[in-house]
Amino acid sequence: MTEPPEAPGLDELTAALRVRRERSRAMGGSERIGQQHSRHKLTARERMDLLFDAGTFVEFGLLAHQHSMTGGATEPERTPADGVVTGEGLVDGRRVYCAAYDFTVMAGSMGMIGEHKVARLRRKAMLNRLPMIWLLDSAGARIQEAAGSTFAGSGALFFEQVQMSGVVPQVAAMLGPCAAGTAYIPGLADYVPMVKETSSMSLGGARLVKAATGEETTDHAMGGSQVHCYVSGVGDLEVDDDAACLAAVREFLSFLPSNNRETAPRRETSDPRDRRVDELAKLVPVNPRAAYDMRKVIRRLADDAHVFEIKPTFARNIITAFARFDGRSVGIVASQPMIKGGALDIDAADKAARFVWLCDAFNVPLVFLQDVPGFIVGTEVEKQGIIRHGAKMLFAVSEATVPKVTVVLRKAYGAGYYVMCGRGYEPDTLVAWPTAEISVMGPEGAVDIIFSKQIAAADDPAAARAALAGTVRETIDPFIAASWAMVDDIIDPADTRRVIIESLEGAETKRPRRAWRKHGVPPV
Amino acid sequence: MAEVKAELVGNLWKIVVEVGQAVEEDDTLMILESMKMEIPITTPISGTVTQILVAEGQVVQEGQTVAVVE
Repeated sequence: MTEPPEAPGLDELTAALRVRRERSRAMGGSERIGQQHSRHKLTARERMDLLFDAGTFVEFGLLAHQHSMTGGATEPERTPADGVVTGEGLVDGRRVYCAAYDFTVMAGSMGMIGEHKVARLRRKAMLNRLPMIWLLDSAGARIQEAAGSTFAGSGALFFEQVQMSGVVPQVAAMLGPCAAGTAYIPGLADYVPMVKETSSMSLGGARLVKAATGEETTDHAMGGSQVHCYVSGVGDLEVDDDAACLAAVREFLSFLPSNNRETAPRRETSDPRDRRVDELAKLVPVNPRAAYDMRKVIRRLADDAHVFEIKPTFARNIITAFARFDGRSVGIVASQPMIKGGALDIDAADKAARFVWLCDAFNVPLVFLQDVPGFIVGTEVEKQGIIRHGAKMLFAVSEATVPKVTVVLRKAYGAGYYVMCGRGYEPDTLVAWPTAEISVMGPEGAVDIIFSKQIAAADDPAAARAALAGTVRETIDPFIAASWAMVDDIIDPADTRRVIIESLEGAETKRPRRAWRKHGVPPV
Repeated sequence: MAEVKAELVGNLWKIVVEVGQAVEEDDTLMILESMKMEIPITTPISGTVTQILVAEGQVVQEGQTVAVVE
């Protein structure tokens, strides 16, 4: 009679566990990691180290790997963690969930097991009401597993992202390719920083495009940051490398609460709340036709001159930015007279509407800085749908119930005044500088409509037009608006910071009630 | 070579450079009058102005090439 083989002891078992864990942590192996580095990209795990506060990352699914869909042998060593590192950790002391696609494992392709892991993260993010972060560097769906009509059961990730929208912040950091349908991950996310040169996103990758339409292109030419951060507006920030990208993710999160029931953390500042900003008088020319850089104005108003712009290189005629006022996170929507005179077009309206919806969803108060000559008019913009895009901005600003403060620096013309939170849009405070020009249109436009017959009948029509324009100009005066109590006050520009801070404080307990509805029908 | 284009429709108010003139990136070539503002049209590259394709007082369209810098 032979003795049964002795069961392994706990020491042996834990040693075997360590081997498995080390194998998974080694990702696609040193050769592929070397390739990743030579492309100026960090690995998924190096990126997570930069995202999380040191030592706070807890991983789920380290020991997962691909399984054969065709009954063949599984090869765990080929697909450590099934190509996506998933887990939770702290960012500035607050917990977030993160999925980092690992390009060293089957080009970061999205396999079935990996997607189970990410789905679990999304559910945890919703259960615990905490942000969800994707670090994308992936060839897309793993076609070996996905081709064929079992596709019929797929796609729930986007449905879930839509349910998450406005409940928890979602960030999709673009650190490599993100081709095909997975490009809807950034498409639905709240914040999408892109690394220059290495990242790209497109609904069809270059090979698919060639097969579908015959067009010859590359992933980068079609969907790099030079497209999405400048032209399409899908990207929110172009950064030089992975480290800058992850720093941007951390910074973005710092301005938002963990979910829509909380407010963003307040940050201590030594910047005095009543600091006078005397430089503003020099920065903003009194001549209303002269341009200036509104970013300089914002920097001087904000706590510690610290401003975090969203989409700084897209639709630059409007500025959307986070900053803090007396430590409180605030969303700023400001005209940029330096670009297109600060006039609004379709991209500017989209950019602002999206930002206002983001801030309102996450209880971030809004400050509007107006120097807006109006919406661009003419045949070109009508073809582009300026009416529906402009209406979208009206819609977002009207819907926003967070504290709203409006400052009219100079121009506030026509619908531009409306969409930048004019009196009718329930700003909690609306103040103007003495240089403010609030009117449905400028004097020259107005005389041609009001006095067309008089001008035509005059001996010298040009002189008559100039004289009449002068009369109209006199009616464009902020003190008239103030005398009708249509603006709350006219302020010394140097007091703007103090006024913004006091106004935001005054509106903190605001709880507007709106008629019940399932949802509005926003123009898009 | 760069084709300098108007960013929006407007009245071309002033041309401040001449053909043959050397310019630096971001220099103003012309000033457009539009939407109650004086809007500078700047060159995206440094080089020499080789062509001016518009005249003062002319209405230019969004995207219209107004000058060439090489």
